[in-house]
Amino acid sequence: MALKSEGMRYLTVIFFWLLCSTPVLLAQQTDPDFMRSMGKMYVVVGVIAAIFLGLIVFLFTIEKRLTKLENQIKEHE
Amino acid sequence: MIQKNWWKGLGVVILIYVFVSGLLVPLKPGITGVSPGSAKTGDVLSVAVEGYNSFFLKGAATQKAWLKLNNEYLLEAQELEVLDDRHLNAVFTIPAFLPVSGKVQDVALILDNAIDGPSVLPSAVFITQDSIQPERGQREWPVVTPPDLHVIRSFAFPFRNILAESIRNTYFHVPLWFAMIFLFLASIVHSIKYLRSGDPRADHRASAFTSGGIFYGLLGVVTGAIWAKNTWGAYWSWDVKQNMTAIALLIYFAYFILRGLFEDPEQRARISAVYNIFAFSLLIPLIYIIPRLTDSLHPGAGGNPALGGEDLDNTMRMVFYPAIIGWTLLGFWMVNLLYRIKDLDFKYLNAKSNR
Repeated sequence: MALKSEGMRYLTVIFFWLLCSTPVLLAQQTDPDFMRSMGKMYVVVGVIAAIFLGLIVFLFTIEKRLTKLENQIKEHE
Repeated sequence: MIQKNWWKGLGVVILIYVFVSGLLVPLKPGITGVSPGSAKTGDVLSVAVEGYNSFFLKGAATQKAWLKLNNEYLLEAQELEVLDDRHLNAVFTIPAFLPVSGKVQDVALILDNAIDGPSVLPSAVFITQDSIQPERGQREWPVVTPPDLHVIRSFAFPFRNILAESIRNTYFHVPLWFAMIFLFLASIVHSIKYLRSGDPRADHRASAFTSGGIFYGLLGVVTGAIWAKNTWGAYWSWDVKQNMTAIALLIYFAYFILRGLFEDPEQRARISAVYNIFAFSLLIPLIYIIPRLTDSLHPGAGGNPALGGEDLDNTMRMVFYPAIIGWTLLGFWMVNLLYRIKDLDFKYLNAKSNR
């Protein structure tokens, strides 16, 4: 149990580190000329990537709430 | 199972259609640039034109080019040299005087051939003159006689000069806002339900729909900022549309702060239901009315609704309307998961930790 929650905590840190660093990395590697090449197609790619990241964040929060609820119900029993 | 959850599958199928057609349908041909962009009266001007999705080689036999001034004058290219499908040179002999009483005048470039159909670049070339003699200019410039432009019926999205491929964001950024409104509307319905019945499950739904709406609103802001960086030059331009959506979202954030303030679940549910109705009644003027009353950089703002006229043609409507339905159904699915957790929480742990 303790191991599990500790592993979860590490995962959380890694996940948020990835989440925060991805846009920064993108911003460093992609100058506007790249984003605007191919008729600004990469702007569409960036928008879809942002929505995808948002859905991952949603999954992550719902996972956390469910785990908390499961643990609480287990304690009650 | 299927009888209860068919709408989730429908949402996924619609979104797959939106992604496939929204990304694969090509754009109509357009003009991305000309050089040089300026000329003097009396010049023999040779402009290098860069096309987009164009077939200049295939259409070379019927290729024509014009410079158009103020919808009144139309100067045809005297010589055209097609280099490849995306590049051609057009030579114009510009008359000695402009037909207008100004030193500088912008003219649009129009291309047309049998394969691509017509394409326009507004303000393609700026023509300057030293002495102003509009009467002579009016005699020298050929008056518009509508040319026979080719009408091409193809399944393609329109090419807009500033937007180019990013016009596809109409299926990924814009529907998020429509879906957000539907989620907030559903939230209001459940808030009113709660105020009438006092059923805690209605409160859970209202709160979950509000979270879903805020989630879509934040995604809308982020996707809009990515697009704005590459279109307006900055992630945040303090444009009226951006500012008003930021205020609207802050008002909704306060909904959750308000919920956090009350220990008693009934008091929390009642007050937040009333606040929810208040927040929605502010949302509509903030994002639909105020941006249209003033000037805004945003497409569709500043007086003209985005759904009208040339901003959205019939090809785009075939993807845009399903996109709204698809993203809305996906939002309802996410909210569905949220309030089921809240219901369970309430049932087993009696509302103590249920915010």
